[in-house]
Amino acid sequence: MATKILSVDDSRTIRMIVGRTFKPYDCQIVEAGNGEEGLVAAAREKPDLIILDVTMPVMDGVTMLSKLKEDPALKTIPVIMLTAESGRENVLQIAKLGVRDYLVKPFKEEQLIEKAGRIVTLQKRPAA
Amino acid sequence: MSQTIQLPNVCEFMTRHLVDVFDTMLAMPAALVPQAALPHFEERITGSVGFAGDNVTGAVYLHLATPFANRVAAAMLGLPPEEVIGENDVNDVVGEATNMLTGGLKSWLCDAGAECAVSTPAIIRGAFSVEAMPDVAREFLVFESGAEHVIVEIHIKLN
Repeated sequence: MATKILSVDDSRTIRMIVGRTFKPYDCQIVEAGNGEEGLVAAAREKPDLIILDVTMPVMDGVTMLSKLKEDPALKTIPVIMLTAESGRENVLQIAKLGVRDYLVKPFKEEQLIEKAGRIVTLQKRPAA
Repeated sequence: MSQTIQLPNVCEFMTRHLVDVFDTMLAMPAALVPQAALPHFEERITGSVGFAGDNVTGAVYLHLATPFANRVAAAMLGLPPEEVIGENDVNDVVGEATNMLTGGLKSWLCDAGAECAVSTPAIIRGAFSVEAMPDVAREFLVFESGAEHVIVEIHIKLN
């Protein structure tokens, strides 16, 4: 069964990059444009992994993560935070919320694969 | 704090960071052109992200000529350079690149003791110039990426 990954980012660019990154693998990518939509998608899709942006309108990634952790049905879903901010304070704040890992933008696709591969099974799609 | 956060240091950081963003996300070269005259763009796309805190406020603007912005968008989205990309997607790519630049600056400022928050990106298209507010230090960094130019404009005020 395909690994289901939820990409939550207000930037279509980043969602496209995430989709492209996992294309060679047997993954199903689900997208949401902000934290509010991300919570709905997480409850509906029960993804194996969430890749979550920090700064978003409507509901930011930190708020979404807090709400995720309060929900018994969703709190065990592992989360990788994507952030443009690598400062100590930001990283500490994210770590306290219980993320599995984080990735600072700009990032290379291989870095995302490496971090996701430590959390979920990534199986290469058979060559067509 | 103002002894460590000086405009030349900010510019030095932003120079490294722009080169990193271009290399990592676009696989495109970028090199600072020291003391360059400001290039004129007939039509341009500007991404802007503001930052504000108790000790520091300001904004970062990323200016690109419209045809080059299209190529930048293609590079970030993994499409052929000649691919025609929708205006919204080009805007989103320029906004995201500006967000990455300003996010890096925010981290640098926070680590230097000037805690601040950043806005979501805004896009302006056309031929225009950005006015600086009074008492705001303003710097232009001009880069070359192949035959094209990239301008990073920094407005910063230390309180």
